[in-house]
Amino acid sequence: MIYFIKILKKEFLIYSRKSSSFISPVVFFLISISLYPIGISNDPDILKNLAPGLIWITVLLSTLISFQNIFSEDYEDGSIELLLASGQNLSLIVLIKIFVNWIFSCLPIIILSVLSVFLIYFPQEGLKSLIISLLIGTPTICLFGALAGALSLGKNSITGPALMMPLSLPILILGTQAINYSLNGINFSSNILLLTAILVFLLPIILFASVGALKLHFN
Amino acid sequence: MFQKLKNFYHKLGSYPWFYKISGKVIPFVGFFSISLIVISSIWGLFFSPTDAVQGDVYRIIYFHVPAVSVSQVIYYSMSVAAAVFLIWRMKMAGVYIKSLAPIGAAFTFIGLLSGAIWGQPTWGTWWVWDARLTSTLVLFLFYLAIIGMQSTFASRKSADTAVSIITLVGVVNLPIVKKSVDWWNTLHQPASISISGESSISSEMLIPLLLSILGVYLFVFFTGLLFMRAEISSREQNKEWFKKLSSNN
Repeated sequence: MIYFIKILKKEFLIYSRKSSSFISPVVFFLISISLYPIGISNDPDILKNLAPGLIWITVLLSTLISFQNIFSEDYEDGSIELLLASGQNLSLIVLIKIFVNWIFSCLPIIILSVLSVFLIYFPQEGLKSLIISLLIGTPTICLFGALAGALSLGKNSITGPALMMPLSLPILILGTQAINYSLNGINFSSNILLLTAILVFLLPIILFASVGALKLHFN
Repeated sequence: MFQKLKNFYHKLGSYPWFYKISGKVIPFVGFFSISLIVISSIWGLFFSPTDAVQGDVYRIIYFHVPAVSVSQVIYYSMSVAAAVFLIWRMKMAGVYIKSLAPIGAAFTFIGLLSGAIWGQPTWGTWWVWDARLTSTLVLFLFYLAIIGMQSTFASRKSADTAVSIITLVGVVNLPIVKKSVDWWNTLHQPASISISGESSISSEMLIPLLLSILGVYLFVFFTGLLFMRAEISSREQNKEWFKKLSSNN
């Protein structure tokens, strides 16, 4: 147990010392959110209708910047090899890595997404559903990111994103639908429950798959 | 019976045995599949009755339905092979996935293309973001990811394992995609053929359709064997049995 807490602390330290790990997704998010009014229209009515989808797509794309962070540095400096050789429970270590990555790459964006009320006229009454759906949907996307990152370690190829995008489709659909439901005054709890179910269902599967994928690189 | 099946399964894992047997089977399968496709196409295009609502346009069903149905079946069979590969490390399963992925992608593409051509006159548009179209598109993307993953690993075994992992994760996710897009939007007409219930299609149209489906399945079997033989010969070209075989011919 102490071992895992140490790993958790180490991961926190690494991420907090390397400011680019949490600043680049935030910058990406702010840039794209402020580009939408310029590129699409500055009409509040048009932007208001598009806002839920725009926010979700931007969050999804900003995870594409950060998913390589989960394993790539540990792979380059060889610490993954040591973890594999340590004989400890690997899926738990991977879970810790994904969790810390989520805290540093997704959580700031979720907090910042409140700004979309001003920037792209997101209706205030939908804010609760936006935050909840992002809080529950993004961990699943980080899981897919971990799998894609583990598979495409050390290669700068399109395969990672190409794998992540089709996998994340249900999350995108359910997330934006939850927001649209709440904006139309419909109860959106069913979508949130489905998102939770997908997260709980996929968590062990993806952890095992990512561990298997990591092992592939060290034969 | 069980013993025989087990023997067959173990033999299937051997490259030389498979190569020998598939060489004998291929001509028959090829002949039957191509003749079935020709017969069902002629029957469907010229002799089956015109549809009351859609007119002659509906005849593209004889290409569309077989392609889409086989594309899903190929994916599910690949996921079985992926499980076999990950559990029993059967090399042949890796060959199977690698050879069938391009065929599956091709048939998914044919399905999407024929669907677009069918949609133009009936729905008035080439493409709609409907549930079934979207899930077929996602299936196509999965195929592309699998094909793309093949080349990222230097060692054959690692590539096969990686592809098996992706295939299995994909098969877990496909029903979720299917259901979530179902709730999202549906315009596509419901399936015309149902195994359990009554089919909503007249038997004069149904028989050529079933024939064409059978023909396309056999065709996939045929091309699958060809691709697998090619893959085996590229993997085993330096092995003794293969050299002996090729020097005999």
